Amino acid sequence: MKDKIDFSLVKTLLGKQRDERRSAYRKGNFDAVGFFLRLILVALFVAVFVIFFGRFMSIYFSIRTRGLLNVRDRLYEALTVSYMVIVISLTVGGVGSMIRELFLADDIKLFSAMPVGPRSLFVAKLISIYRKQLLLSIVTVLAVNITVYLNVPAEAMGYLMPKGPWFYWGMTVLFCFVLPMVSIAIASLLALPYYAIRQFLQNRYALMFIIVTALTALAFYAYAVVLGAVKEMLLGDDLKYFFNESVMHGIGVAVYYLVPGKWLARFLLNRGMLENGLLMLAVLIVCAVIALLIIRSIMVRALQARISGGAHFMYPKRYIGDPRPQFGALIRKEFVQIFRTPSYMFSYFSIAVIMPLMVYFCMEVASSLVTKLIGYNFNLELALFLTLLFSALTNVFCSTNISREGPMFYSVKALPVSYRQVISSKIVFCLFVSLASEFITAVVLFGAGYVPVSAAAFVFLIGVVFSFAQICFATRYDFNHARFSTEDDGEIKESGSTVSTIIVLGMLLAFLIGGSVLLIKLLYTLRSAGASSAGYLTYAIVGGITLVATALSCFYLVFRLRRKYYEFSGGGLM
Amino acid sequence: MKGPEEVLRIRGLYKKYAKNADWAVKNVSFNCYAGEIVGLLGHNGAGKSTTLKCLEGMLPYERGEISICGYDIKRQPMDAKRNMGFVTDNHAVFLKMTGIQYVTFMADVYKVPEDLRVRRLAQLESVFQLGDAINNLVSSYSHGMRQKVCMMGSLIHHPKLWILDEPMTGLDPRTMRAVQDFMRKYASMGNSIIFSSHALNTVAHLCDRVVLIRKGKQINDINVKHIIAMNPNFDFEEYFLSHEGQD
Repeated sequence: MKDKIDFSLVKTLLGKQRDERRSAYRKGNFDAVGFFLRLILVALFVAVFVIFFGRFMSIYFSIRTRGLLNVRDRLYEALTVSYMVIVISLTVGGVGSMIRELFLADDIKLFSAMPVGPRSLFVAKLISIYRKQLLLSIVTVLAVNITVYLNVPAEAMGYLMPKGPWFYWGMTVLFCFVLPMVSIAIASLLALPYYAIRQFLQNRYALMFIIVTALTALAFYAYAVVLGAVKEMLLGDDLKYFFNESVMHGIGVAVYYLVPGKWLARFLLNRGMLENGLLMLAVLIVCAVIALLIIRSIMVRALQARISGGAHFMYPKRYIGDPRPQFGALIRKEFVQIFRTPSYMFSYFSIAVIMPLMVYFCMEVASSLVTKLIGYNFNLELALFLTLLFSALTNVFCSTNISREGPMFYSVKALPVSYRQVISSKIVFCLFVSLASEFITAVVLFGAGYVPVSAAAFVFLIGVVFSFAQICFATRYDFNHARFSTEDDGEIKESGSTVSTIIVLGMLLAFLIGGSVLLIKLLYTLRSAGASSAGYLTYAIVGGITLVATALSCFYLVFRLRRKYYEFSGGGLM
Repeated sequence: MKGPEEVLRIRGLYKKYAKNADWAVKNVSFNCYAGEIVGLLGHNGAGKSTTLKCLEGMLPYERGEISICGYDIKRQPMDAKRNMGFVTDNHAVFLKMTGIQYVTFMADVYKVPEDLRVRRLAQLESVFQLGDAINNLVSSYSHGMRQKVCMMGSLIHHPKLWILDEPMTGLDPRTMRAVQDFMRKYASMGNSIIFSSHALNTVAHLCDRVVLIRKGKQINDINVKHIIAMNPNFDFEEYFLSHEGQD
């Protein structure tokens, strides 16, 4: 049978996806905390972006090349780079969504046994991905175009709106809809090689860990560079001197190769509108055709791999292991389960490894910024704040301590191990990871000269105690609200309200402790009181709040735990 | 004269899943003696798996008493659990472990000494025939292979009571036969086996006794071996269907 796109089938498939989406918002399924957290984060991101991008734009427009102002070229460069960043972000998200929707979604298996052609399924899934991308596109394109509009000098408005405001705002709306199409078209081509790499790394856990950790570290380094530029911007005109003749020449050359961002910017600024519009259209059509042609083979191969249980990777022959204590066996089980599940490995081990780097990068920016702005050294307070903040984010993983066990939680219940051993093995394992991460962070802070050895030891101690409190709380909270995965591989694919709650609480506590010590130090500094008094108060406040939080968390963890454990029938499977 | 050793004792077991729900298990009572194979029969949703989960300690129950080798599952859970091995209906195994890692984990949890675990693994490998696949990740296993590794893990400590929920599901005929032979051999060593199943022929040929459950209520406890010995033409399927349908 020829595989044609059946649009009535596509409509049915979209209806099914809509129903599934709606069920996520029904009472009992709706993650209100996560929803509002995401909303706040997006609002915060947009606000910060508009402020800093606006400031950057006004500096960038005032740059002179060969002694002359050239707002027209600056506009073109800024818009090209901005659209390119949006397209890349959407493409990265698109590849991820495509892998999830086309290769990993459970319904694919079901559809393979139904008269649903791969092309119809592909189109339905693409439309669903497009819907998701559209939201992000609207937020980012509007943020960029509004900020550019607000910051372009009045005399250069003609360069921005060569055909009048209606054209500029009309094109802004059009770009919101077109950018996801471009990114999805590119993503559909990249999905296959990405999937091949994923399959290759599937059972090579150590290699995957190294690659993923290195890439994340690199991403954070890039983030630190951006933060550094933000700092320069806040501190004065240093940034303006950074964009000298050779840098501007380099930007000009780079912009030439930044397609399709270049085409979009040229289209908007009326620099060869027809030519660039046609180029965009051609790219869209070519990508769509290639994607439709190759998707059948991709999906069939992916499906066969899933039905046969994934790649049959031969492990070296092993014999039954030497006896180890029950507690050791439980700890080892925790490690194996996390290390061999790529998403868990990334969210916990990679983040824990990178945490010292994140603290260091942020410290580098914040320390000099605060010293320059206030004139005093706030390193201890900043080190505490950043360490607690990043620990809180790392330990969020512990909010799946029970849920990720899945149906095996019941099997473990039937084993001759006490509830104390089961729960404490999870806590000790997480604490060990946290301990290593906090120790390296303290060493880095001391090694980089931000804090003396005594302060580094204090940061380490508080970090560990704070982590212990969060791990205990998160574990019990997850126990009370456990939701086991019903996926074939038992993996938790979407974070629920438990994760959102632990993120919010962890960050609130980190802000409470970090914020209060920063505030106290600031007040002491403004009053010109002795720095040592502020230091003692810092130790007292941080120690006090952390100990109280730890005591409360421990109480929450153990309160009626025995009864709860033996009476447990949650998780949604029984 | 001392009678056969009582391995499992269930008295007046009541279990419900929610406060206002109907009883999932209502007044179930039976014993299981050393050397005996007991089958638990009933239609889908009759309460077989719930009964087994209660006696494994997986699920709490409202009323009743369960003791394994004289140890009460509520008051002395560790001692009771040390004397049993279980195979769940969903073949729950740690998917990210290899087969051998899973068996090692179970051996560690049941504190099986080194020499015994090596010897028992060799015995179990000859029964379940996983071959080199035991070195692969459990996530790559078929349902039948998961079932096999689950059985191996449940037997590594040589439990006095072996509990199996739908053990034959997903097994190939050769393994099914091997498992049945092994069950007989295992029971003849003075151990006790209780399992739930829908396969009436398997139950009739394998079990010494059968407990019939309907809508959570125990409706009969019959000595199959005795009945078949008395009446070689006894049609177990007919018997089950007539009793299972009765109110």
